[in-house]
Amino acid sequence: MYSNHSTDPRRPDKEHRYKPKAVNSDNQALTPGEDLTSDYMNILGMILSMCGLLMKFKWAAWCAMFCSCISFANSKASDDNKQIFSSFMLSMSAIVMSYLQNAHPMSPPWSTAFG
Amino acid sequence: MKYFLVISLSILVCLAHCKFAIEEVDEFEEFEELPRTEPDLKLKDDSSPILEKAEAEVTVEDDDEFEHFNDEEEFEGFDTERLHVDDKDPKITIASVPVPFHTKWSNYIMETLLIVGIVAYFANFFYGRSKNAQLADIWFKTHKSLLEDNFSLVGDDGKIEIENSGLIKETESTYTLWCSGRTCCEGMLVELKFIKRQDLASMLNQFLRPVKDEVQIKVDMNKEDMDTFVFCVASKKTAARCSKEMADLSVFCPERKPGANYGLTDSFSVHSELAEVSSSILDAKTVNYINKYSDVIDCLHFSDRYSGLKLTDETAVPTKLPAVKKVLIFTFTIPTDKYTDPQEAISTIYPLMSFIFQCMERIKRLRISKEAKIKAEKNRLRVEEAFLKTTHAARAEAAAARKEEKKKLEKERILKEDPEKQRKWEEKEMKRQQRKKAPRMKQLKVKSM
Repeated sequence: MYSNHSTDPRRPDKEHRYKPKAVNSDNQALTPGEDLTSDYMNILGMILSMCGLLMKFKWAAWCAMFCSCISFANSKASDDNKQIFSSFMLSMSAIVMSYLQNAHPMSPPWSTAFG
Repeated sequence: MKYFLVISLSILVCLAHCKFAIEEVDEFEEFEELPRTEPDLKLKDDSSPILEKAEAEVTVEDDDEFEHFNDEEEFEGFDTERLHVDDKDPKITIASVPVPFHTKWSNYIMETLLIVGIVAYFANFFYGRSKNAQLADIWFKTHKSLLEDNFSLVGDDGKIEIENSGLIKETESTYTLWCSGRTCCEGMLVELKFIKRQDLASMLNQFLRPVKDEVQIKVDMNKEDMDTFVFCVASKKTAARCSKEMADLSVFCPERKPGANYGLTDSFSVHSELAEVSSSILDAKTVNYINKYSDVIDCLHFSDRYSGLKLTDETAVPTKLPAVKKVLIFTFTIPTDKYTDPQEAISTIYPLMSFIFQCMERIKRLRISKEAKIKAEKNRLRVEEAFLKTTHAARAEAAAARKEEKKKLEKERILKEDPEKQRKWEEKEMKRQQRKKAPRMKQLKVKSM
């Protein structure tokens, strides 16, 4: 397959297999320089969802939905999809619950009253 | 005849009774009719003036008493009063209170805007994802033949049996490619770091802090094919960042020199541990080449002590030096902002792949002088000593923890073996503890005479 010509730089006998970067677990320190946007957005989304569910803050529920979207867009291919799905469901339930309790529309920020 | 008389008598008596009753009724009628009409009264009693006066007074009184019945103002709200009376009925009815809310969709402006925002986010997600995938695909197609000519293994997913022998998608904007089986190096990892086109928030952030598409190529050199030195040529901005963030650059060559000293354009800075190395790497040919591609070359980082980014977490002090590798790192920007056609943009950086292979060959051949070697060794020793000093406390703590663990294991082993031994060990341990606690002084035993 490979010529033994001296100019051919290929060396099939020196092949090294690819070692993927270690996946972060609880007992491992985070790799510096790693993009943590997805994780941060996930946590922020959860906090805002809880604010939306417990305190009936509609804006918090909507923000949680956007956080889930950003978390989803920045997620790694190796990430657990269940976590992203649960984040989406939580934010969606926060929106639904806050509108079931009080179906009044949110007042836009340019109006004086804040809803 | 008698009968006739009796009947006629009874009839007479009946008639007499009837007449009396009529008369009685008439008498009462007079009393009742007296106040009713004025003209009648006047006709009957014209004679006496006193009566006339009295009648006049009576008529006046009558006027005052009933005048309000004709007054319309008196009957204002009469109907509502009657309604109030009706409400006082004991019948209890719970009025159904209407919800003060009107489902007008025009009120939901904010909600509509937010939903539009989510739809726009997802539309951008699919568009950005496909754009990044397209760029990655073009890059791979363009470079595939060149890579296959240089490496026996192109594309590895790290699994026991290679399932995907192309680019590996790490995120929607990051793709990697592993190549191996070449002289000089153990392997080469290509990382395509595109703009996060799939994330609308990052795209908006582009206006504040613009980011470019990048290709980072890390070549893991064989241990025997690279000498001991740390060297870096980078654009000014990147050089400033790297000298702070990179562990090897910050330790071995924190001094930054302008690129003009070596004939490079002003946009470059040079970090070099050994002057000899920088002069031999940056020869006229290389300088010309770097200057020619100055707009796409971001960083060339050659190091035998590469350990990645500096640890920023000060709470977790490492007890041993981080693992180091001999690497060559090349970072190029893809000029997607200058060329609308992605194929053209990637074609501009295609010649740089050949430059990488040339650099690998040159680094393999490069051998530093004895003096430089001694200097480099000294630097490495100095860094090691400084590290040992800073981590002394942490290492002592780790050693104590290890000792404690060892003791614990021994105790467990003895406990399992034999109860007699266990008792003895406990006694020994107790004595040892007592000796530790006791004040340090000599005990004198006085023998009795």
